[in-house]
Amino acid sequence: MGEKIYKARLYVPGILVLALGTAPVWGSEYVVFFCLLFCLYLALSQSWNLLIGYSGLFSLAQPAFIGLTGYTMAVLTSYYGVNLWVSLLLGGLLSVLFALFMSLFIFRVRGIYFGIITLLFADALLLLFGNWEYVKYSQGMFIKPVHPPSITVIFYMAFVVGVGSVALIYAILRSKLGLGLMAMRDDEEVANTTGVEVFRCKLYCFLISAFITGLTGGIYYTFQIFIMPQEAFSVSWSIKMIFMVIIGGIGTIEGPILGAFIHVLLSQWLAEYFSVSMLILGAIAIVVILVAPKGIMGTIQEKLGFEILSPRWK
Amino acid sequence: MVDLLQPILNGILLGGLYAVIAIGLSTIMGIVKIMNFAHGDLMILGSYLSLVLVSWLGANPFLTLLAVIPMMYIVGFSIQSFLLNRVLGKGLDPPLIAAFGLSIILQNSLLLIFTPDARTLMTALNVMKIPLTDYLNIPANYLLDFLIGIGVIFCLYYFFQNSYLGRAIRAASDDEGAAQLMGINTKNIYAKAMGIAMMTAGIAGVLVGMTFTFYPHTGSQFLFIAFGVAIIGGLGSMKGTLAAGIILAVSQLVGAHFLGPGYQMVSGHVVLLIVLLVKPQGIFGTV
Repeated sequence: MGEKIYKARLYVPGILVLALGTAPVWGSEYVVFFCLLFCLYLALSQSWNLLIGYSGLFSLAQPAFIGLTGYTMAVLTSYYGVNLWVSLLLGGLLSVLFALFMSLFIFRVRGIYFGIITLLFADALLLLFGNWEYVKYSQGMFIKPVHPPSITVIFYMAFVVGVGSVALIYAILRSKLGLGLMAMRDDEEVANTTGVEVFRCKLYCFLISAFITGLTGGIYYTFQIFIMPQEAFSVSWSIKMIFMVIIGGIGTIEGPILGAFIHVLLSQWLAEYFSVSMLILGAIAIVVILVAPKGIMGTIQEKLGFEILSPRWK
Repeated sequence: MVDLLQPILNGILLGGLYAVIAIGLSTIMGIVKIMNFAHGDLMILGSYLSLVLVSWLGANPFLTLLAVIPMMYIVGFSIQSFLLNRVLGKGLDPPLIAAFGLSIILQNSLLLIFTPDARTLMTALNVMKIPLTDYLNIPANYLLDFLIGIGVIFCLYYFFQNSYLGRAIRAASDDEGAAQLMGINTKNIYAKAMGIAMMTAGIAGVLVGMTFTFYPHTGSQFLFIAFGVAIIGGLGSMKGTLAAGIILAVSQLVGAHFLGPGYQMVSGHVVLLIVLLVKPQGIFGTV
C-alpha cells in the first residue's frame, strides 16, 4: 500500500481525539459523562492489555491499585485537607510502591498461579480495609476536597489519563522495551535467549500498569465522591478489564479502545439493569473466545491487514 | 488454652466441608489442567437447586441431594463438552476467560432469578450441639459436613483407583496422546470428569446451604477456599485435599480467634500465600 494511505490513517485517531477532547463544548452533560466513563475504562483496559497482551501476566491485582488510590485520596482530602490533585498523584505513587512490594512475591510463580496470587493480594486488601477503623470499616468514606472540581475538570483529567495511556503504550511499544515485549508475546523462551531481559520487562509493565490503573481509579472515585472497600477492591474491576480486552482484541492497541466503547455503551444502555449488562458482556466474551479468540480488532487485523495504530511502521 | 480447643475442633470438622468444596476444582486442575474460576458459582448453583426443590416439594434438604447430584452431573458434562473442550489446547488464557465468562453469567442469572436476599437450607441440625465438656461442644451440622466430606473423598479415591472410567480419566490426564492411541476419547473423558467434579460441587453446595447462609455472590468467597485447599493439598491428591481442608479451616478459625472474626479469611490468605511461595506444588505433591 502507498505511503499516502499510511499517512492518511493518522487522521482517523486525530479526528477521534479531537472529537473526544471537545466533548464539553459540543455535547450535552450526558455526552460528557459518557465520554468520561469511556476515557476511564479506556485507560483501565489499555493498562491491563499491556500486562496480558505483551508480558503474558494474567494479573487480577488491578482493583488493589484502584482502591489504594481512591482511599489515599479519601484519607488525605477529608482528614488532612490536602489538594485533590496532589492526593491523586500520591495515590498513584502508593500504587506503584504496592506493586513493587507485590513483585517481591508474585514473580516467583508462573502461569495460572500468577492469577491466583495477584487475586489474593487484591482480596486481602479488601478484607483489611473492611476491618480497619481508620477508614471507617466497610461503611465507606467520602472524598471531600476543599474545592470540589466541576464535571468538566474531571472530564479533562479522565481525558488526559485515557488518551495519555494510549499514547504512552504506543510509545512504549515503539521503544526498545516494546520490541522486547513483542518478542516476549510471541515466544518468551526465544526472547530470553536472544537477550531480552524478560524479568525487567515484566516488572516495568507491572509498575506502569499499576500507576495508570491507580490514577484512573482515583479519578473515578473523585467523580463518584464516595468509596467503599467491597466496591473499590472488587474483582469485578478485573472482570470488566478482561472482558473489554478479550472482546476488542488481546495484544492490539485498537482492541481495548473498541472493548471499552462496547462496555460503556452496554453499561449505560442497561444502566438500570446492571446484572443484565454484565450477563451480556460475559456472553459476548464467551462467543468471542469461541469464534474469534483474537478478538474483534485482532481478527480484522489478521484477515484484512488493517491497522490504524501499528507499532511497526517507520 | 481451653479457649483455643473449640476453634481447633470446629476447624477440623469444617475442614471436611472445605475438602468437598475443593475436591472438584482440584480434580479438574489435575486432570483437565483448567483453572475453573466458575467452580464457586457452580457450587452455589447446587445450593439454589436444592433450595428450589425444598420450597417446591417441602423435602428435607438432605433428600434433595438425590436430585441435585444427577442434575449437577449434567451441568458439568454440558459445560465441558459445549464450552471448555472447545478452548482446550489454545494456550493458557482462553479456558480461563471462558470460565470467567461462565462465572459472571451464573452469578448474574442467579441474582436475577433469586434476588440478592440471603438464603439458607434449614434443618433441625442447624441449632443442635453435642456437648463434650462444659466448655467444648460439637455443632451437629459441622459433624455431618465432616462425615460426608470424608465419605465423598473416600468414594472418589476408590473410583479413581478401581473403576474403568476412573483409570481412563487418569490415563487421559497423564498422557493425552497415548490415551487416545489406546482408544480413549479424551474429550468425552474430560466431560465425564467435569460431570463428576460437579457432582461433588453439588454435594458441597447443599452442605454449604445447610451450614451457612448464601446469596448469588457467595460463590467467589468459596472459590478462594477451594483454591486454597487445592493448592495447599497438591492438585488431584485426595488425601492431600482432605488434610489441606483441615489445615486451611483450622488456620482460619484460629486466626479469627486471635484477631477477631473479620480476619478469618485474611488468615487463610496468608497461609495460602506462604504455601504458594515456599512449595507451589502443594504440601502433598501431585496425583
